[in-house]
Amino acid sequence: MSRLSLYSVQAILILDNTGSRIHAKYYQSPHVAEDKRKGSLQSVKRQKEFEKQLAQKTHKQDSDILIFEDHLVFYKEYMDVTLYLLGSMDENEIVLQQAFSAFKDSLDLILNSGIDKKNIQEHYDMVLLAIDETVDNGIILETDPATIASRVTKPPSNEPQVSLDLDKGLLGAWGFAKSKLQERLQQSM
Amino acid sequence: MSTHTYKKFENSEAGELPDKMTIYQDCMSEFNESPINAKRCRLLISRLLRLLAQGETFPENEATALFFSISKLFQHQNDSLRQAVYLAIKELSGISQDVLMATSSIMKDIQNGSDLVKPNAIRSLTAVLDESTAFSAERLLKSALVNKHPSISSAALCTSYNLLPIAEVTVKRFANETQEAVADLKSFPHRNLVGDYYPNSTFISQYHALGLLYQLKKNDKMALLKLIRQFSSNNALKNQLAKIELVKLVSELVTRDNQLFSDFQPLLMEWLSNKYESVQLETAKLVTNFAAHHSRLVSSELIASAITTLQSLLTVPRVSAKFAALRILNRISMVSPERIVVCNPELESLINDPNRNISTYAITTLLKTGTAKNIASLISTITKFIHDVSDDFKIIIIDAVRSLSLNFPNEWKTVLQFLIDVLKNGEGGFKFKNNVVEALIDLVTFIPQAKEMALENLCDFIEDCEFNEILVRILHLLGKEGPSTSNPSLYVRHIYNRVVLENSIIRSAAVIALSKFALTKNDPSLSDSIVSLLRRIANDPDDEVRDRATIALKFIESAKRDQDTESRKFILSTYSFDFASLESKLSSYISSNTDSFKTPFDVTSVRRLSDGDIKALDLKRKQGKFLKGTLEGSAESTPGIAEEEMLPERLDNSYVGPSVDEHELDMLSTKYAEELMAIDQVKDFGALVNSSKIVPLTEPEAEFVVRGVKHLFKDNVVFQFNITNTLTDTALEGVSVTCTPELEASSLQELFTISIDQLLPSAEAACYVAFKKTEEIVMESFLANLMFTTKEINPETNEPFAGDEGFQDEYDIDSISLNAGDYIKSSYVGDFATAFDGLPNEEVAVFNIKENISLQELVDRLVVNTSCLPLEDTQYAPSDSNSHTVKLFGKSALKGSKVALIIRLIKTSKGIAMKAQGRAEDAVLCSDLVNGLM
Repeated sequence: MSRLSLYSVQAILILDNTGSRIHAKYYQSPHVAEDKRKGSLQSVKRQKEFEKQLAQKTHKQDSDILIFEDHLVFYKEYMDVTLYLLGSMDENEIVLQQAFSAFKDSLDLILNSGIDKKNIQEHYDMVLLAIDETVDNGIILETDPATIASRVTKPPSNEPQVSLDLDKGLLGAWGFAKSKLQERLQQSM
Repeated sequence: MSTHTYKKFENSEAGELPDKMTIYQDCMSEFNESPINAKRCRLLISRLLRLLAQGETFPENEATALFFSISKLFQHQNDSLRQAVYLAIKELSGISQDVLMATSSIMKDIQNGSDLVKPNAIRSLTAVLDESTAFSAERLLKSALVNKHPSISSAALCTSYNLLPIAEVTVKRFANETQEAVADLKSFPHRNLVGDYYPNSTFISQYHALGLLYQLKKNDKMALLKLIRQFSSNNALKNQLAKIELVKLVSELVTRDNQLFSDFQPLLMEWLSNKYESVQLETAKLVTNFAAHHSRLVSSELIASAITTLQSLLTVPRVSAKFAALRILNRISMVSPERIVVCNPELESLINDPNRNISTYAITTLLKTGTAKNIASLISTITKFIHDVSDDFKIIIIDAVRSLSLNFPNEWKTVLQFLIDVLKNGEGGFKFKNNVVEALIDLVTFIPQAKEMALENLCDFIEDCEFNEILVRILHLLGKEGPSTSNPSLYVRHIYNRVVLENSIIRSAAVIALSKFALTKNDPSLSDSIVSLLRRIANDPDDEVRDRATIALKFIESAKRDQDTESRKFILSTYSFDFASLESKLSSYISSNTDSFKTPFDVTSVRRLSDGDIKALDLKRKQGKFLKGTLEGSAESTPGIAEEEMLPERLDNSYVGPSVDEHELDMLSTKYAEELMAIDQVKDFGALVNSSKIVPLTEPEAEFVVRGVKHLFKDNVVFQFNITNTLTDTALEGVSVTCTPELEASSLQELFTISIDQLLPSAEAACYVAFKKTEEIVMESFLANLMFTTKEINPETNEPFAGDEGFQDEYDIDSISLNAGDYIKSSYVGDFATAFDGLPNEEVAVFNIKENISLQELVDRLVVNTSCLPLEDTQYAPSDSNSHTVKLFGKSALKGSKVALIIRLIKTSKGIAMKAQGRAEDAVLCSDLVNGLM
């Protein structure tokens, strides 16, 4: 892979403060034969080991960036979670920093009450979408947090869709509403 | 509802996931439900993805079933559910079968979906398409590529990029559209905003388009040059990442063709003051990196302003920028520290940076810029805070100090004081202490003046050392170095203390160390005391200790009785085995065992290294390591070379400079010996004496790439030609190399040629030409010619067409010559001046080099040509001076006689004047070497 490759992000991780995985996504260049893939982080067991060591190394160390086992690592520690982004050693540090900020800030935008473990777990689908909109197979897809956030949909609303067919007239609508209301009342009783 | 159950309920919603089977069942039932409950489905998908992200996986049939039921959700037109579906499709496609069935639904979305889901749909194509179906997306991708919506365009570009390995032909047809996408500045439409956020286009699709465009045109140099011309002017690129991609493109081009650099200088100068820090950084990286290899081609203003740019980046608030600039400076400091002395004030202020990574980098960089003058003050700065950093950082600092000590041997006192201080007073784990001890061992080995003081302090240290491994190493060192010191009895006392106080592992190490003192020359009276000590130890409760003591006693006795050299050798071993080759020999012995180990292992076939050889190898490895630099315990690879390209690149580079990974060379020579010994005719030549480094005989981009290696035997010479066929459609048959001596009266007699039967496209094979030497040292050049028959390849069978007779052809390659350096192995000597003066035969020669090369390049060439080891750090020519002296030391590969060279270089406007003064034990070798330098 030459330096000009767009595959610059190697992994995005969200770990809790014991180093256990909340989310982990390791990127591999797609459509490359298995045996040609390199890097030691292929098996899940090895990945989890790596995450534990990484968490140990970064816990309570407010340094934002470090080199760990041949990866450039960017991270941000919150109350009970830490966000990570891993890139290759040859990549431009500021570019990776921007990708990381995009990831971090977009989470900030979509998780209304701040980044913490419970919030991430409750809005796991949105977090995944945000990551998916930031990095695609290791390619940095977008670096503007607002753009990323604008592309992340909220879960569908609770109400089953009530589609009114106006052809049936107002009476039909009234009948529909009445039956619904009755249903609700019965349910609540 | 009790609080307990309430809590449990909450957990099932957020914290703990239900088990895998439950999720699977839930998904299967819910996804097949009709009508589809969008909210419930998205929740289940989210759970499923969480499960997968934990590392769980499903058996293939279950995954396929899941995939199938998820694709049913395409019926529901809710965008928010659809986005989740695409995520699931991408995750599951890796583990399930029949992923193609989703293709038509996805393509429908690409055509008719909302702007929100279109990008998701396009990007999921990467996961579902394969080699045979990729072409079907051509039309869709092409139109999406030119779509005005930036997200859609980016998605299409990334997908095309991802599909490249399997659909190159298809993607190549997008070249024009991609080109358009780079130039086109796309912004988000202001209507139809879905969420609460206002997207702000960063024009990142330019970056994706440029990345793809490079992949499409990477083999076309002219097209790439045109790209740079087109997009570097007029602010055509708005996106920062795209600009960096352009810088990298320049970097790629100048690495391929060094001469292009001067054309790019103005552009690079401009980029160094670009408004984006990242562009400045990337450009500075390029310039300094290029300057490290081809300093002659880079103007000094450009380097200076690159350094100034880095210097200003050191003071920005952003951590990543500081970190990045430090990394580059650190790298420069390893090759030409004098260049970055200007940054010292900034570096010094960063020592106390709250970010430990930054402060450590700053310190190690400072230590490398250190000169004989400021070492003392630097070390006192470090001493102040080394006790309150973590072990990892301590180790890095110790490593830096260690290389410093090797570079400035005269400053050993300060360094030694520092090391002893941290060893005795520092708190730290095994790794840290071990590192300090290793640094001290280095001092003892390479700086003779420091030896006694360091040893004495190590003696004190072992009195209360808690780590067995370190104790054993120190005892070994005491045994090795102690007997030759002025007062050996001091060490005997310390060692014997260990025998009395420690456990059996240490006792046995101490016994061996003690026995070495019995034969010391400095204090003959010691021998008797050692014998009586060993007698006492012979009653030790541990059998290993007893055995060692008894054996040692026997050896000492017989050594004293009849000056028996054999037992003397056992006590004071003068050589050790080359471990790499010992390992490979042993493993092949075990695996090729046919007679249940009746034939004993032949230990004589393993390369033996004398003390001097080991030191030379060690020092070389250290110089190499120093050059490459290690930080945080991980090998910082040289920039510009991605891992995959590392290996061939390294081999190619092995002739340019001393920066080769010596270990790999060791392995190579073992490999050569094995390959050669597999040839029957070569077996008769006896043992392989020496192999040269790899010499390229063609341009690296030639149709047939040939690289030569010269192997030396006692009475024979074998040339090995490694030939690579880079043609894609032609096989070579009967490949051989003819070598014609340049001189008529050759003292070499050609014996035989071993040719290659068949060389398929992109295969590599070796052919050999063997000669008999009539004199001991022969130096000659040979005109070499590649002879072969070309045959066209049948693309279906990958074999040449049957009945094709092919064309006889030949191909000129560079001449290969045997020179004096091929007869020399590098070797180490602690005190160069004395060793030089002690050699009997002298030869002086003066050369005038008209070529326009830098001193450094000349020094590199000298080191390679002579195969000697540069000593006293003379392999780096200062870039700010016009003169330099190189000190080289080596040994004859045939007889082991010593050779030393002092080469003085002066650079003037007319070229480089060189005066070489050589001294050697062997007069012929000396004059051959000195006169054949250039």
